[in-house]
Amino acid sequence: MTATAGGLEALAAARQERPSTLAEATEALQRADRDRERILFLGGGTELTLGAPPDGVEVLLSTERLERIVEYAPLDQIVAVEAGVRLASLQDVLARSGQMLALDSPWAGRATLGGLVATNAFGPRRTRYGSIRDLIIGISMVRADGTEARAGGKVVKNVAGFDLPKLMVGSLGTLGFIATVTFRLHPRPETERTVLFPDLDADAVRQVVLALRQAQLEPGAVAALVHEGGDDLGVRFDGRFELGVRFEGFEAGVRQQAMKLLDLATGQRWRAESIGAETARAFWARHDDARESSAGFRAKLAAQPMDLERVANAAIGSLFAALEVPRCVCYPTLGLAFVAGEVRIAGQVAAAVSAAREAVPEGSVVIHAAPPEVRAAVDVWGPPPAALPLMRAVKQRLDPARRLAPGRFVGGL
Amino acid sequence: MSAPSLVTPAPAVEAIPAPPSVIDRLIAVVGERNVIRDRDDLRTYECDALTSFRAAPSVVVLPASTEEVAAAVRIAVEAGMPVVPRGAGTGLSGGALPVPGCMLLGLSRMKRILEVDLDDGWIRVQPGVINLDVSKEISPAGYYYAPDPSSQSVCTIGGNVAENSGGAHCLKYGFTVNHVRGVRMVTSTGEVVDLGGPVLDPPGYDLLGVVVGSEGTLGIVTEVVLRILRKPEATRTFFATFPSTDEAGLCVSEIIGNGIVPAAIEMMDRLAIQAAVAATGVDWPDVGAALLMDVDGCTAEAEHTSEVAVGIARRTGALEVRVPKNEDERMLMWKGRKSAFAAMGRLSPNYIVQDGVIPRKDIARVLSEIARLSQEQGLRVANVFHAGDGNLHPLVLYDARVPGQEKAAEELAGEILRICIRFGGSITGEHGVGADKAPYMGEMFSDADLDTMAKVRCAFDPATTFNPSKVFPTPRLCGDRPGPYHPHATEVAGLADRG
Repeated sequence: MTATAGGLEALAAARQERPSTLAEATEALQRADRDRERILFLGGGTELTLGAPPDGVEVLLSTERLERIVEYAPLDQIVAVEAGVRLASLQDVLARSGQMLALDSPWAGRATLGGLVATNAFGPRRTRYGSIRDLIIGISMVRADGTEARAGGKVVKNVAGFDLPKLMVGSLGTLGFIATVTFRLHPRPETERTVLFPDLDADAVRQVVLALRQAQLEPGAVAALVHEGGDDLGVRFDGRFELGVRFEGFEAGVRQQAMKLLDLATGQRWRAESIGAETARAFWARHDDARESSAGFRAKLAAQPMDLERVANAAIGSLFAALEVPRCVCYPTLGLAFVAGEVRIAGQVAAAVSAAREAVPEGSVVIHAAPPEVRAAVDVWGPPPAALPLMRAVKQRLDPARRLAPGRFVGGL
Repeated sequence: MSAPSLVTPAPAVEAIPAPPSVIDRLIAVVGERNVIRDRDDLRTYECDALTSFRAAPSVVVLPASTEEVAAAVRIAVEAGMPVVPRGAGTGLSGGALPVPGCMLLGLSRMKRILEVDLDDGWIRVQPGVINLDVSKEISPAGYYYAPDPSSQSVCTIGGNVAENSGGAHCLKYGFTVNHVRGVRMVTSTGEVVDLGGPVLDPPGYDLLGVVVGSEGTLGIVTEVVLRILRKPEATRTFFATFPSTDEAGLCVSEIIGNGIVPAAIEMMDRLAIQAAVAATGVDWPDVGAALLMDVDGCTAEAEHTSEVAVGIARRTGALEVRVPKNEDERMLMWKGRKSAFAAMGRLSPNYIVQDGVIPRKDIARVLSEIARLSQEQGLRVANVFHAGDGNLHPLVLYDARVPGQEKAAEELAGEILRICIRFGGSITGEHGVGADKAPYMGEMFSDADLDTMAKVRCAFDPATTFNPSKVFPTPRLCGDRPGPYHPHATEVAGLADRG
């Protein structure tokens, strides 16, 4: 494990537990409960720096040996996996039956399903298939007091009891240990084609998004990369994007939709091309590369999709000015973006974060990675949400002794 | 949808009158005419569409704003009264069933559409807005709201949020929870809080995900931000008949196995087809099973998938495949399907609408088990279901005038739920647990599972003010420490009468 930035060095001293069964995991939690030890759950370690450094962790509970596919029912299009199963290896298994989990988040080779649920990870397919909360249908968890509990089930349609699987999505290991997760699956698309707009400004990206919808096109993935302008000394944000729109599905529909979008582009004088498989792979590889940045600073921005221009100029622009080798991926249909880069002067980056937050008051800027100096200057989560008292009450009921990653989550939960 | 009440409904538990001071304070908040306390007027509210459970509320309050809801909740909390929310009262699980001594909050006056943002893809509405009215509002611009419960022309968004309602088209498009971006909610302390909103991924726990489908037990939702969708370019529909549900089930499996995600795929058995014919005059033959399927998307995709699906239907033994010639014919087909519940009144004086889910691959086995039970009990069971996601709606037909038949029908309906549990499914796919299925929760979930859900409940509502005695089989107080179960006051007092 590489605990680098953000005060995670203390974790090196923590006792490590590597249960290989749910029963062992439960025992480990019961032990920690008895000894009043504080626990951090560890999956693939791709988002360890997300949130505030937890207080005084004594036990690291790794899911690396919980890597069984518990049940895969292709006819029912569901799969239940232990928390430590890696996304890429799951996709390999599902692909053999022509299916997929409609989740294309970064670091698929390392990231575990338990960790992806805990961090609410997503990729460009979210535009069509929704996020993890739309894919998760069941969960088994172990509470801080060592009690095993399930919620949801293994059928897609199910309204019996509270939807605790959704509560666990994005809860960052602060409410319970995610032991197994059940997902709904989708057919793997027969084919795909990407239409590329090599050079658009933010307003044009916004207009393409509207045009897609107006034309009743249903892309499977949409992503915009900040145009890599500038010179060797650094990338300056020049307000321009490279936009990729991927259609997926049966050949007839994919071809029709790509043609329709190209026609639209011609009508609007947007430069666009339907690119071949090779070039498409290169575009999506650049996308993945930007998302999988190991830079010292990473942040996620959320705003209304139609505010892209304001987000670009104020939020992305100010972060780009403060960071070295900055990169950015936008999901313009969703109103979400990621910015990454190296920190040169912490004060400048912190000020840029504050400026970005001011630019999107109805949205959010969450820091996923940053050196301690930046964390000291700005809260990684931003202003506390209005529902913080309710969130605190939920935490209090499920982890009354505050032993699960204490202090890591929003509002010090 | 309710069973026709040819029999005298069971007498409701008599209303416990609300204290005059509470009435005065409520009148000061919402006005005289919106505080209902006359015994006869209260009758209207003593059940929802599950008419076999009845109990009169102490008082019914009809607020018009978030502030009024909050004030009413504070008055109830101070008076120690339970609060039961109610939308249009179309629920089939007794979710809006009053509990003795409760203040029933009827949200039907809160029916304004507050804000529409087509470009960002959302609409903000009050909870009393009718489901179909959302789509009507945005239809001229080419948008719609996807979840479409069969009762969509009368049921409200607030009720949909409480029950996480589904509908025929949720196989492809998801349920209410997948289309709610945010809510404004009055908490058990009478405070107003926003969960979620138009912008995605607000930092913090996904409390919204738990509130949707919590059946009014976590808070009173007073505004909802819904995700709206652009209408698909094309929809292709076909209706296919089969000798039996076996071939129809195989057809569904093959369609889905071929990578097609239909917008909807509905199955009806012989009895259900007969009822639909009798009620709506659709020209459907007397056959063992029928499928009604929609595929949608861009024109080329819809045409391709519909062609493939029709081919599969023929290959798997379809007797006949009909494609509607125009939108009117298509609407008539869907009318036949959507009226299937109500149509049962043509075949039987009484019936129970059941709602359970099974893994899709087990449809044939489960149907034969239901058929066996039906023969054993000598009661007819019609089957209408969302075949794509294994959501069964068996309708147990009976005649309440025949001594013992109602009880036998209830037992049979309960056994069907046990089959669903045994096959790894669920006791409810879209109607909710409510009062009706709370006793079955302990068969689907362990004590620890229910205890975990109860902890979440306690976080929101430690005094169990909101909709007590729903969802959980054994209501209990929220202690500060884990410990043995405490029976809740309503449990000790006895709940509503079962008719």
